[in-house]
Amino acid sequence: MPVEGRIYSIVVILLLLVLCTTVYGGSNDPISVVVSLDHDEISMDEAVLLSVVVSGGDQNLPRPHMPNLPMFEVYSQGQSSNISIVNGKVSASVNYRYLLMPTRPGKFPIQDIAVVYNNHRYVGNTVEISVRKSGAVPTQKKKTGVVDDTETGKPYYLEAVVDKKNPYVNEQVTLTLKFYIAVRYHRNPELTEPTTTGFWTELLGNKAPYRERVNGRTYRVIERKYALFPTQTGELTIGRATIRVAVDSKRKNYRDPFGMFGDMFDTGKEVSVRSLPVKVNVRPLPKEGRPADFTGTIGDFKISARVDKREVELNQPVTVTIKITGVGHVKAAAEPDIPDQDDFRIYRASSSENISKAQDRIGGTKIYEEVFIPKRPGTLTIPAINYTFFNPAEEKYKRVATRPIRINVTKPDGWTGSEEIPFTQSEVRISSDSRDIRYIKESPGDLVPMGEVILTSPLYIIVNGIPLFALMATILICKRQAKLSSDQSGARARKAGKMARKRLSSARALAKVSTASEYFAELHLTLTSYIADKLDMSPHGLTIDLITDLLSQRQAPESLIEEVASTLQRCDFARFASASVNQEDIDNALETVTELMIKLEGTKLA
Amino acid sequence: MHRKLSLILFVAVLISCFTVNVVAQNQAERFKRANAFYQDKDYVSARSLYEAILKDGYESAALYYNLGNTAYKSGDLGYAVLYYYRGTRLDPTDLDLRNNLEFVSSLSQVQMEGVELNPVRSFFEDIVGSYSLSSLAWLTSAFFILFILVLIARIGFSLNNSAIRVSTVFALLLCLVVAGLTTFKYQTDYLRRRAVIVADECSVLSGPSEKADVEFDGAPGLLVEIIETNGDYVNVLFANKRTGWLKKEIVAVI
Repeated sequence: MPVEGRIYSIVVILLLLVLCTTVYGGSNDPISVVVSLDHDEISMDEAVLLSVVVSGGDQNLPRPHMPNLPMFEVYSQGQSSNISIVNGKVSASVNYRYLLMPTRPGKFPIQDIAVVYNNHRYVGNTVEISVRKSGAVPTQKKKTGVVDDTETGKPYYLEAVVDKKNPYVNEQVTLTLKFYIAVRYHRNPELTEPTTTGFWTELLGNKAPYRERVNGRTYRVIERKYALFPTQTGELTIGRATIRVAVDSKRKNYRDPFGMFGDMFDTGKEVSVRSLPVKVNVRPLPKEGRPADFTGTIGDFKISARVDKREVELNQPVTVTIKITGVGHVKAAAEPDIPDQDDFRIYRASSSENISKAQDRIGGTKIYEEVFIPKRPGTLTIPAINYTFFNPAEEKYKRVATRPIRINVTKPDGWTGSEEIPFTQSEVRISSDSRDIRYIKESPGDLVPMGEVILTSPLYIIVNGIPLFALMATILICKRQAKLSSDQSGARARKAGKMARKRLSSARALAKVSTASEYFAELHLTLTSYIADKLDMSPHGLTIDLITDLLSQRQAPESLIEEVASTLQRCDFARFASASVNQEDIDNALETVTELMIKLEGTKLA
Repeated sequence: MHRKLSLILFVAVLISCFTVNVVAQNQAERFKRANAFYQDKDYVSARSLYEAILKDGYESAALYYNLGNTAYKSGDLGYAVLYYYRGTRLDPTDLDLRNNLEFVSSLSQVQMEGVELNPVRSFFEDIVGSYSLSSLAWLTSAFFILFILVLIARIGFSLNNSAIRVSTVFALLLCLVVAGLTTFKYQTDYLRRRAVIVADECSVLSGPSEKADVEFDGAPGLLVEIIETNGDYVNVLFANKRTGWLKKEIVAVI
C-alpha cells in the first residue's frame, strides 16, 4: 500500500473514532442553564444586560424559553457560541443576551428561564434585579466595579429635553439629547433614536463633545439635536432614546505597576442608558384674527419678487421669481396665491427649496418661478403678491407682500392690434434649460385616426400604384408596337379597314352622275384593295374570279363571296357604261360597298 | 343614368367632407376646453378631456404632448413619458416634445447605466430620428415616381442618352436608400413592441409567476421592449440589455 493510502486510512479511522466518541459522550452529558445580570440594581433610566448561558455535551443545544417579564421591555441582543473538544469529549455553550429596560421601579426576580432537551426540562438559576426611581441614590455599591461615586452622582446618564412644552401645531420644537458620562468609555456610543410619532423630524446635528460640571462632578457631554414639527394637536410623546456604551469594567489600581497592561487589554463592559419619554402638548392655531387667505404656513417669513426682464414683446414670457425666506417649516410652506390677471396669462414653471439649519432653527428659502405672458402692449404692472403666515413667537397672523413690478410690453412687428386675431404662435417656449416641462400646445394639430400608418393608407397605395400602372401600360404599348412592326401581313390586315375608309371618303367626293365612271372605279379599287390587304396580296391583278377563288379557299361564306363578286361586277359595268347610271345607283353602290366591308371585317378569313 | 350616379357621388363626397369637418371642429373645441382646465391647474379634468379625444379614435402629436404635460403635472411620471413617446413617434421634429420627454425621463428614479448600444442600429436611428414615418414614406414615393418617370422616358419614348441613364441609376439608388430607411423606421416605431413602465411600483421578476424571485426594481417612465407574452406576464428587455418579467398592467405599449 502506498504511503498516501496508509495516511488516508489512518485519518478515516481517527475521524470515525472521534465521531463515535462524540455521539456516545454527547448523549449522556447533562445540560446546564446559567442566568446572570451585568447589574443587579439599576435606575428607571438605565437598562440591564441579561445573559443566559446554555451549555452541554451536544453541539445542537436548545434555545432557552424566556418567561413573561411584564416589568421590562425585552430586546434580544444576539448570541455567541463556543465549542471545544478535549480528549474526544465535546462541550458546547451558547450565550444568549437580552437587554431589559424597566417599565416600573421595584424588586423583580427573574426565574423560570428553561430549556427542554431529550424530554427533560432544565431550569436556570433565579436572579433578582432592583429597579429604583430615576435619580434615586442606589442603596448599595455596585458589585461590577464600575467607577461610581454615588455620593457625587451617576457615572453616566442620558437626558432628553425640549425647548417648548406647549408648541403650536407645525411650530418647531427642538429636542436635545445629552449623554453625560464621567467614566472612561471604549468605542463610540451606539444610539437608538427616540420615536417621534406625530412629528415631522429633521436632524439638526451633533454638537462637539464638551465638559460640564453637574453636582460637583465633571462629565463629558455628547449632545445631539432634532427639530420636531408637530403635525397634530393634543398630547404627543417623544419616545425614549437609548445609548449603549462600553465603560471600564475595573477600578483603576494606581498602585499596581502592571495595571497599565491590564488597561490595554480591557475592552470594557457594555452598559445601556436611556432617556425618559417627553410629553408635549400641541396647541391648535388661534382662530382669532385668522385671515381668509391663510393656508397653514407657520414661521416667520419674508417675500420678494423679481423679473428676468423689464421690457418684453407682446406674448413673450416674463419669468417672475418669487422668493420666500425665513424661519419655519419651509417644506410645508404654502405656495403664494396669485390671483388671475386681466393683463397676463400666468403659468407655473418650476419651484425649488433650500433648507438651512442655522442656530438650531430650521429655515431656508423657497423659490417659485411663475411665467407671466402679457396679453396687451403698454406699461403693465405685475401686482403685489401677498403671503400670510402665523408667527408663533409673536402669536399672531402676519401678512407680507412683494412690491408691484412694472414692465414695458412692446408691440411686435406685424401686430394687428386686434385681440380677436391672436398674434402669438401656437406654442410658447417657457423653459430653455430643461428645468421644467414646456407649456401646452394651443392647437390640436392634425388629428388623424388612431393607429393609421401611412404605408397602409389607401392614398399612399394609390399614389404609388399609379406610376407603376403607367409603367406597365407603357411596357405593354411598346411590346404591342414592336409586335406589330414585326408582323407585316397582320399589320396590313389590321390597317385594311382604315385604308378602305379613306378610299370610301374620297369616293364619296365623286358620288355624282358627272363623275360616275371615276366614282365606280374608286369603289372597285376600294373593295379590291381591302380584300388584297386582308389576304396580304397585291391588289394588282386581282380579278373577280381570283377573288372568288381566294375567298373560297379562306372558307368565307358562299353568300358573301357571291355578294362580293356581284358588287365588283356592277362596279365594272357602271365604270364602262356610266351613261346609264343615275344618282340612286351611285348612292346604293356606296351603301352596298360599305355594308360589304363591314361583313368582311366581321368574317374570319383562315 | 350617368348623371344620377355622378350626382349621388357628388352628394356623398360633400356629406363626408362636411362630417369630417364637423368632427374636427368638435375635437378642436374639446381640445381648447381641456387647455382652459390646464390653465386653471385642474389637471384631472384637462386630462379626461384630452383622453376623450383619444377614445373617439383621433390622435396627434400636440394631443399627446398636452396629455404628457397633464400626466406630469398630476404626478403620473410613467404616463407622461408614454404620451411623449407616442407624440414623438408622430412628429419627431417637435422640439417641445423632445425637450419634455428628455426632462421627464431624467426624473425617473432608476436610470439604466452602462447601456451597450448597437453602433449600426444607433447610426440608423440617428439618421431616421428626426423624420416621421410619413415624411420618409412620401420621400420614398417621390423618388419612386421619379424612377418610374425616367423608366417610362427610356422605354416609352426611347430616350437612352447618358443623362437619362445616370438619372435612372441615381433615382433607383435614392429610392432604395430611402425605402430602406422607411422600413427601418417602420420596424423601429411600429413593429418593435416598445412599452413604458407606468405603475408606481415595479418588481422585475425572474419568471412569469408571482412566486418568481424579484430580480431588481424598475421605476415608472422606464422604456422597455416586449419580447414575449406569457399569460398575465410579459418578458421585457431593458435599455441596459437586462431582461425580466413584469405583470402586463405594469407597462403600456407605445
